[in-house]
Amino acid sequence: MRLSLPRGRLSSCGGVSGPRREERFRKEAKQPKRVVKVVNQESAAQLTDNPVIVAKGLRKRYGDLEAVRGIDFEIRKGECFGFLGPNGAGKSSTIRMLSCLSPVSDGQLEVLGMPAGVAERRIKERLGIVSQEDNVDPDLTLMENLLVYARYFRMASGEARQRAGELLRFMQLEHRQDAAVRELSGGMRRRLVIARSLMHAPEILVLDEPTTGLDPQARLLVWGALQALKRQGTTIVLTSHYMEEAERLADRLVVVDHGTVLERGSPRELVLRIVGREAVEIWPEDAADSERIAEAARPAVRLSDRHGDALVLFSDEPGRIGEELVRKQAVPARMMVRPANLEDVFLTLTGRDLRE
Amino acid sequence: MKQGSRFWRSAAAVWWRNFLAWRKFWRSSILLNFGEPLTNLLALGLGLGAYVTVMQGVSFLQFIAPGLLAVTSMNAVTFDSGFEGYDRLNSNGVYQSMMTSPLTVPEIVAGEYLWEATRSLLYGAVFFVVVLAFGLVHSAWIALLPIPLLLFGVVFAAPALYVAARAKTHEQLFYYFSLVITPMFMFSGVFFPVQHLPWFVADIIYVLPLYHGVELTRELALGQISLASLWNFLWIVGYAAALMYLPVRALERRLTA
Repeated sequence: MRLSLPRGRLSSCGGVSGPRREERFRKEAKQPKRVVKVVNQESAAQLTDNPVIVAKGLRKRYGDLEAVRGIDFEIRKGECFGFLGPNGAGKSSTIRMLSCLSPVSDGQLEVLGMPAGVAERRIKERLGIVSQEDNVDPDLTLMENLLVYARYFRMASGEARQRAGELLRFMQLEHRQDAAVRELSGGMRRRLVIARSLMHAPEILVLDEPTTGLDPQARLLVWGALQALKRQGTTIVLTSHYMEEAERLADRLVVVDHGTVLERGSPRELVLRIVGREAVEIWPEDAADSERIAEAARPAVRLSDRHGDALVLFSDEPGRIGEELVRKQAVPARMMVRPANLEDVFLTLTGRDLRE
Repeated sequence: MKQGSRFWRSAAAVWWRNFLAWRKFWRSSILLNFGEPLTNLLALGLGLGAYVTVMQGVSFLQFIAPGLLAVTSMNAVTFDSGFEGYDRLNSNGVYQSMMTSPLTVPEIVAGEYLWEATRSLLYGAVFFVVVLAFGLVHSAWIALLPIPLLLFGVVFAAPALYVAARAKTHEQLFYYFSLVITPMFMFSGVFFPVQHLPWFVADIIYVLPLYHGVELTRELALGQISLASLWNFLWIVGYAAALMYLPVRALERRLTA
């Protein structure tokens, strides 16, 4: 069994108290035979150029509907790569293809150096897959869910039990290990799905909207867990329509819509390139007021947009819009200045029409 | 060889999943699968048996008991593959989660067959104890009963799993039960010999798997072994072989879109 994740080194992501951590290290010391392959900081931080997933002209058709229309991307070892897009953009179809859950209609797709359509089983052995639905087994306990899943990967039962214990601690579920899954909250189920996907120590973790529907606490815990895994060298691929999530987690991302890639880059780079450094949100009194303010700010504005009843002006130079408005005595009654963010990029690229 | 052992280890993992899930509800499950045939046995065997005293040379109770045993197995398998199979596919994502592992659809289906064969054997055995207690077993040939029971696990699971994979709603599953399973139960020679039915009905019955299951079980219980028994057995084997692959394509279509 390949172990890319350092087994036994999974520290709980939500802050572990000192004594507990010590106890775990003591436990490790007692089992000197177990080979703990620690991914050192260097190799984890070093984003090598050798890609673990390569897609060229990737397409997915469902009958007449073409969900993915020829997209290209390369995902590097050790990075967190995000697919960002509105509902129906083709994110899930793409991620299902690279998880070997759905056949490729056209184009090339290589995962870990193997063609996706041919080497499904060998690819799945090295992939951790977190589907959008919480498909944990409601008839089993948490521990049983993990042990059964380990059997699907032909793990030895002793190893599986130990690993399951570690992962339940890692996702802060150890106190519920013998509870029935039916009794779990949505957040707990999602954490269990993530724990399950890590049972076989996958090299790549693929998550389809990992925090959709979670409360803020559960979301932070999941983010913490993903960041911890990344530090340990796991490549992470995720889809999201939460900008904050993508901004926090993704090293690089592609913005997709209507089955094609609109933009690609790091979150920061995208923000600077597409909208600018600073956003000024203004709530004008009426249309005339709006017109007046927009006109006054014009020399400093790189891009303007409307979010609901707010006028949003973007600039590359922080403070410049404010200066212009003061100089021309057009300071609006209500305004807010903030750094431009990925959400601005997203709305600029994909528009504001509802996607349902 | 190595491929073969991987296949069966994967199938065994699916079996184990089903066993763990079953273990949580085994009491109610046995009670449910046991109550109906027992009611039939008592109500019809004792009630109707008071009027129909002899059927094909044995008491009515003795005539229907082995057939009801076969039906118990059929129902245990059909209900699980149909309803539970539908849920595993549609509501709780059990099959979907299996697909995120290296398991393949043929391995999953094989695991289901192993499990349904186990259920068939188990529920058949529970009913057998009752039949034995009524003093209705008269032959050591009954020792061979586990063989057809294990085969029922495939013969009845395959079409039920296929229907579960194709059904869009729970109602569509009921069609299978009320239009296929129940008529088959009523006409397959459990309660009366098929020979007395109009020839066209008898011919249809003759090609259905339950008829041969009922006949074979009765022959084993009463020790009426002949060449016909072998023939019945071959029919069951043939059915298992012919239907085995049926749900694989249907499930593949659902799980790898």
